Amino acid sequence: MPDAHFYRYDDYDRRLVAERVEQFRDQVRRRLAGELTEDQFKPLRLTNGLYLQLHAYMLRIAIPYGTLSSRQLRKLAEISRTYDRGYGHFTTRQNLQLNWIKLEQAPDAIAALAEVDMHSIQTSGNCVRNTTADHFAGAAADEIEDPRVWCEIVRQWSTLHPEFSFLPRKFKIAITGSPNDRAAVRVHDIGLRFWRNGEGEAGFEVIVGGGLGRTPMIGKTLREFLPKDELLAYLEATLRVYNRHGRRDNLFKARIKILVHEIGAEKMREEVEAEYESMKDSALKLAPETIEAIARQFAPPPLQSKRTRVPEVEALKLEDRNFALWLKSNVAPHRAPGHAIVTASLKPAGAPPGDASAAQMEGVADIADAYSFSEIRVSHEQNLVLPHVAIEDLPAVYRALGRLGFAEANIGKITDIIACPGLDYCALANARSIPVAQRISNHFAALARQHDIGDLKIKISGCINACGHHHVGHIGILGVDKNGAELYQISLGGDVDFGHTALGTILGPAVPAERVVEAVDTLVATYLEVRTDGERFVDTYRRIGIQPFKDRVYATV
Amino acid sequence: MAKNLRGDLQVASANRLVDGMVVFLDAAAQWTDRLDRADVARDEKAAERLLERARAESATVVDPFLVAVTEDGAGRIEPLSLREKIRAAGLTFAAIAAESVRYA
Repeated sequence: MPDAHFYRYDDYDRRLVAERVEQFRDQVRRRLAGELTEDQFKPLRLTNGLYLQLHAYMLRIAIPYGTLSSRQLRKLAEISRTYDRGYGHFTTRQNLQLNWIKLEQAPDAIAALAEVDMHSIQTSGNCVRNTTADHFAGAAADEIEDPRVWCEIVRQWSTLHPEFSFLPRKFKIAITGSPNDRAAVRVHDIGLRFWRNGEGEAGFEVIVGGGLGRTPMIGKTLREFLPKDELLAYLEATLRVYNRHGRRDNLFKARIKILVHEIGAEKMREEVEAEYESMKDSALKLAPETIEAIARQFAPPPLQSKRTRVPEVEALKLEDRNFALWLKSNVAPHRAPGHAIVTASLKPAGAPPGDASAAQMEGVADIADAYSFSEIRVSHEQNLVLPHVAIEDLPAVYRALGRLGFAEANIGKITDIIACPGLDYCALANARSIPVAQRISNHFAALARQHDIGDLKIKISGCINACGHHHVGHIGILGVDKNGAELYQISLGGDVDFGHTALGTILGPAVPAERVVEAVDTLVATYLEVRTDGERFVDTYRRIGIQPFKDRVYATV
Repeated sequence: MAKNLRGDLQVASANRLVDGMVVFLDAAAQWTDRLDRADVARDEKAAERLLERARAESATVVDPFLVAVTEDGAGRIEPLSLREKIRAAGLTFAAIAAESVRYA
């Protein structure tokens, strides 16, 4: 089945990717032959997304704006089976990481990716990385415009952009087309949020200087409203200012958030606007036909009119309590009547968050072919999404996902945990993440209890680089190494919901690994005792503050 | 001198170039994936020599470095740090198998 409903590579894209494969094949050959030293080779492999981690090479594969066709997902399964150990890890950047790639086979793996118009270019290095988007893009009932059109425009502009290939540091852009921010736009280097102005015209709020990591910051709005056709010129102006003034003397102060913090949002705005003035009518101004040509590639699939009230669905709700819970947590409203968006949970009880076996990837591809126009999305919360499912097909999709182990009714709940690979894989980590997530997941596995607790986002990072987004977890957990012991620092009240974006506040001294579950349990118990009707964990936290939680946790832990 | 030179006992480790696997230098200056076959330096001078030897034999590995280890009464060695324990022993949880469709 063709990749019909999103961007297809043209000859230019294919040639670029094919040339890169052959370049990399030659670079690997020269490295293995001893013609290149590791110092010479390292930047070349990183440019192609190949890291050396604790136990093996890791290949980070770009999934542009988290959109995959079933054909592409099957190929990822095949690559993981042929060149890796048969599973992959979906990341908070909507990418896929394969953890056991052999250097000598990496060019073949990358060549296999190119067969389905995929690559690993710009998944490392100080360049513009994969632009991320709302994982419900093109389907969400609350969407103003499909952000993937604009992600694709950014992708074409930023791919191998000569001026921005050696920025002071990496650069991450996220776009949401909906007022309900599902792309965490305020914690990216640049976040773009669609909204309509008083004239009903759609444009972008441009948010700059957000980020997590060592120095977490919430982005500042540089432009309240940017007309769409001015996007690339404004991005180019912003990147130029960053490239010129961003710090290159200190790795830890090189991100744009530090520049914005040091010179202030007002000065940053002045600099960007001045730069923008010099280029706003340049070739970067997007012609309507250019935008339309790309938008056509994201035309919605031919959704037929479907029943909105389906007796079989209602009957199964009464019959199967888990199905009823799944409908509540894993099924979201679609813009087309009679359809829904289904999230396949990659967080079954006790599983490593975001991991999928080759067989599971193929299973999801089969379900997408049968029920979702062959489309799949990867969420930054490390789940897979079937964006276009008819309501009447929900029972069949639920059963099919159940056979894969992906029908856990836990999306947005306490076991839908974000976790980075942590010290089990990562060369940068100080502590493990996945085993902590597994213990919490097993402890809270009962679905009825999870739904009673309600929406609660736990995010775990194994080091200060915050790949697990712990700063914005309702409960954030950061692993630290203290004299060789794994300790975990807990924070409360982080959030990425639009209008409520907040960084968590540290609860108190870090707790030992074996006490983390007990601490989380105590936090939940405290919340359950004092919550009022309809209050989520984070709402209660905002109302009563950190002290009651702190008192309870340190009285018991 | 390597930064992590602490403790009395050290072995030399690296990642194998072709596949990234964790390896250790043995007494015959060969790289092995078995920690129990690693050559153990028992004082600071020996550790320096071990690292020099590892660097001299680094054509097939990436970035050799010293790992602090302990040795029990039976002569079994184990890295001191959790990071190096995990490097030597592998993942601390069960990864999913390629054909698995359900987690245990």
